[in-house]
Amino acid sequence: MKRIAIVEDEVAIRENYKELLQQQGYNVQGYANRPAAMLAFNARLPDLAIIDIGLENEIDGGFTLCQSLRSMSSSLPIIFLTARDSDFDTVCGLRLGADDYLSKDVSFPHLIARIAALFRRSELIGAATVEDNLIEHGSLTIDGNRIQVYWDQQPIELTVTEFWMVHAMAKHPGHVRSRQDLMQEAKIFVDDSTITSHVKRIRKKFISADKDFNCIDTVYGMGYRWDSVS
Amino acid sequence: MFNIPIGLRAKVVILSLFLLCLPWLGYEYVWEMEKYLRHGQEKTLEGTTQALATALHERPKLFNHQASFLSQVEKGRDLYAYPLSGPIQLDGKLIDWQQYQHRMINYSSEHVIFNRDENQPVDINFTHMVGKYGGYLYGFFEVHDKQLVYRSKNSLRVDKNDHLIIATQAPDGLFKRYIVANMQDGWLSAFELPQDPTLSMPVTPEIRIQGQWVATKDGYNIEFRMPLSMVGSKLGFAIYNVDDVKTRTVNTIIGTSAIDSVDHLGTVLVPSPEIENIIKGMSHNSSRIWVVDNHGRVLAKSGDIRASNNVWSSSLTETENRSAWSQFKSDHLLPLYYKILTKPPQDFVDSLQDSTELSGSHIQQALDGKRGSTWRLTPDNKAVVLAAASPIWIDDKVMGAVIAEETTHGIRTLRNRALEKLFNVILTIMSMGTLALFIFASSISSRIRKLRDQSEQAIDSQGRVKQQIVPSKTRDEIGDLSRSFASIVGRLGQYTHYLENMSSRLSHELRTPVAVVRSSLEHLSLQTLEPASEKYVARAQEGVSRLHLILNNLSEATRLEASLSHVEQSDFSLQQVVSGCMQGYQYTYPDNEFAVDINDSSMSMHGVPEYIAQLMDKLINNAIEFSTEDPIEVSLKLTGKTAKLTVKNRGPLLPFDMSEQIFESMVSIRPQGVQAKPHLGLGLYIARLITEFHQGSIRAQNLTDDSGVEFYLEFPVTESK
Repeated sequence: MKRIAIVEDEVAIRENYKELLQQQGYNVQGYANRPAAMLAFNARLPDLAIIDIGLENEIDGGFTLCQSLRSMSSSLPIIFLTARDSDFDTVCGLRLGADDYLSKDVSFPHLIARIAALFRRSELIGAATVEDNLIEHGSLTIDGNRIQVYWDQQPIELTVTEFWMVHAMAKHPGHVRSRQDLMQEAKIFVDDSTITSHVKRIRKKFISADKDFNCIDTVYGMGYRWDSVS
Repeated sequence: MFNIPIGLRAKVVILSLFLLCLPWLGYEYVWEMEKYLRHGQEKTLEGTTQALATALHERPKLFNHQASFLSQVEKGRDLYAYPLSGPIQLDGKLIDWQQYQHRMINYSSEHVIFNRDENQPVDINFTHMVGKYGGYLYGFFEVHDKQLVYRSKNSLRVDKNDHLIIATQAPDGLFKRYIVANMQDGWLSAFELPQDPTLSMPVTPEIRIQGQWVATKDGYNIEFRMPLSMVGSKLGFAIYNVDDVKTRTVNTIIGTSAIDSVDHLGTVLVPSPEIENIIKGMSHNSSRIWVVDNHGRVLAKSGDIRASNNVWSSSLTETENRSAWSQFKSDHLLPLYYKILTKPPQDFVDSLQDSTELSGSHIQQALDGKRGSTWRLTPDNKAVVLAAASPIWIDDKVMGAVIAEETTHGIRTLRNRALEKLFNVILTIMSMGTLALFIFASSISSRIRKLRDQSEQAIDSQGRVKQQIVPSKTRDEIGDLSRSFASIVGRLGQYTHYLENMSSRLSHELRTPVAVVRSSLEHLSLQTLEPASEKYVARAQEGVSRLHLILNNLSEATRLEASLSHVEQSDFSLQQVVSGCMQGYQYTYPDNEFAVDINDSSMSMHGVPEYIAQLMDKLINNAIEFSTEDPIEVSLKLTGKTAKLTVKNRGPLLPFDMSEQIFESMVSIRPQGVQAKPHLGLGLYIARLITEFHQGSIRAQNLTDDSGVEFYLEFPVTESK
């Protein structure tokens, strides 16, 4: 049974999510603040952590907590679930090593799907490759089972959201995918500018692996396109 | 109150014009000084005359053979041997007398000594003067006589013709008479007449009287000289006129005085050499000195008033060093000064140059026994002459006066020098003062302007605080002002910051309860409910999602503003972005028709293409929302370096006066009705933010035919291919 820790200072939300996840068959612990959570994590790490950024009297308590968790384990999936949705916070959270960043108004099915995806990825890391869910496209390889993307056989570290966006674009190369499509694929619900900043971050990650990377085309007013012609 | 738009600097410069009072004060001061100097000069000059008079007191020898003892002198009768400046050429032509023209006296009917026929008008007259040069008495007669009668060649009589009689009391006291009677033009024939004035014979030739007799068209000229040793202090001339060659009787006698006895003779004043010698000793003095007798007639004179710059100027000789300063002074400053000042002229008309008689209140005073002095202007108003006089006493009688004259040139030069120096100093002080004031005012006004610019930049046109004012550290009033501005802006900034974050904080704070409601509703919907409850859950969920949309919109503008400040900019083609967007809209809004007209040039810009796309979204959304009739016209044109984008839609017009306000935050002019979507009036505000971020401008106006509204945007283009 997977153990999930929820760190959230709002009792009602914590309890709602806790009940939902318990219904899904996970073992869930809820913590209201950072010290309590750290105490428990020092004793035993959960299999997945869902953290709110603002914790009681610490405005950025979630970020601190995320950092401490990352230093304890590099593979532990961490999801930020927060009401703060500014680009700055998103970028901050993802830089600190969170795997995903969800807004609190994400619907239950989305949340469950994201959690499942993360578990699947952490489970499949190092496991034998099942050859039935691979997309290959030039230098790009997408392993849908492991939720992992390779460029020239180099793994590119993407968050789950970013993975699904790449997946959506590369499934039909040359086709323009609107921001709406990308949102649905990535199972997030944000505004256009957030999608734009996600795409920018994806580009940067690919470019840091290969500085000549230019496969993601912006089609103004419509969306993005994976362009294999290099 | 006057409300003239003058800057602080100009005001201070105008105020510094009061410095111009300084030269005036200095000028006044120098004038005062000059008054004292003049007074001093007066006293000095009086002292000089007194000293000289002291040397001449009680020396009757100098005066006794002069006419000084006469109670009065009569012009024409009492002659004055004028000191000539050079020898006279004895040729009968009067050219060399021209310069003494003003000394000549015309003798006519009022000088008649004898007229044979009382009823006959006197028809002769003569012009005459005497002068002295080198021990000789010179003289001439220009006689106007219609009938010149020469001495006949065969007569012994010398008086039966036109002739000249000279009578004098010789220095030895004897009464002597001489006659000049020529037979023809040429060298004078002069004879001594006998002692007895009634006799005219016999005569002895007198060769010491030399000269020429020349006939002219209206008479004759006699030019003569005789040694001064022949002439005493009494002298008379008479012209005898004979008209009839047959009878040769004397018709008229005109003369300077009666010549029949010593008593009747007029005097002649020959300036005394002894006095001149005494005065010569004084001639090292810088003034012109006269000695006059008690009739004001000049006995002696020395010195030149033009050369006499007097004691005052002697100390003023400046060493000429050709430094840059003196060069500048003489080239630029002095010409300027001498527009105001007057240089004492080196030449002026001196009316007394050749005077033989002096008059004036100072002389009158001196002859009354008191010292006196006067100022007078030369006739050409070019110079002021100061004259002082002291009496000369002989036996308790005033026998004459010593007069000293000086121009005030020395003082004027002194004054000019003083004023030059004063002006130099004042100009320096003024220019330095003005400069200092100007710099001070400039610094103050520049500080104030800086403060103004800072405070204008601190707050943008929407009244939001853009940047803080850096409080100045200067401890004066402007520094205070700056500090209080800084604190005002700071407090305002905090407040606007609070307000700005209000919406995002509000949305953030609301998100949590919304999330609570939402997650709770989802739990509900996961459970199987009665159909009645289902309905309410569905309604609640719809409400929650609308609430969520509102929250998203609320934070969108704030987030955009935040991200604009640290966004990566790149070069992109405006034309591509706009045409791409328009293609997208034609898919997205299949129900609407677009009329697109886009130029082919690429219109390269520097900025964020995604934002431009977002701007297009807002504009097109807005147009579609208000459009009542297709098509929506979109055009992109390039004029010079400006890209012009217009979006037109047919539909309701903009309300009056709202064309600017619709771009403000939270302004919505939609009709208050049932709205499909919540609307916060942020769309066009975001459009404006993006436009201004790209240095563009946006405005909305009604179409000219009032059929709809047009949005008109302009962007600067870096290059256009």
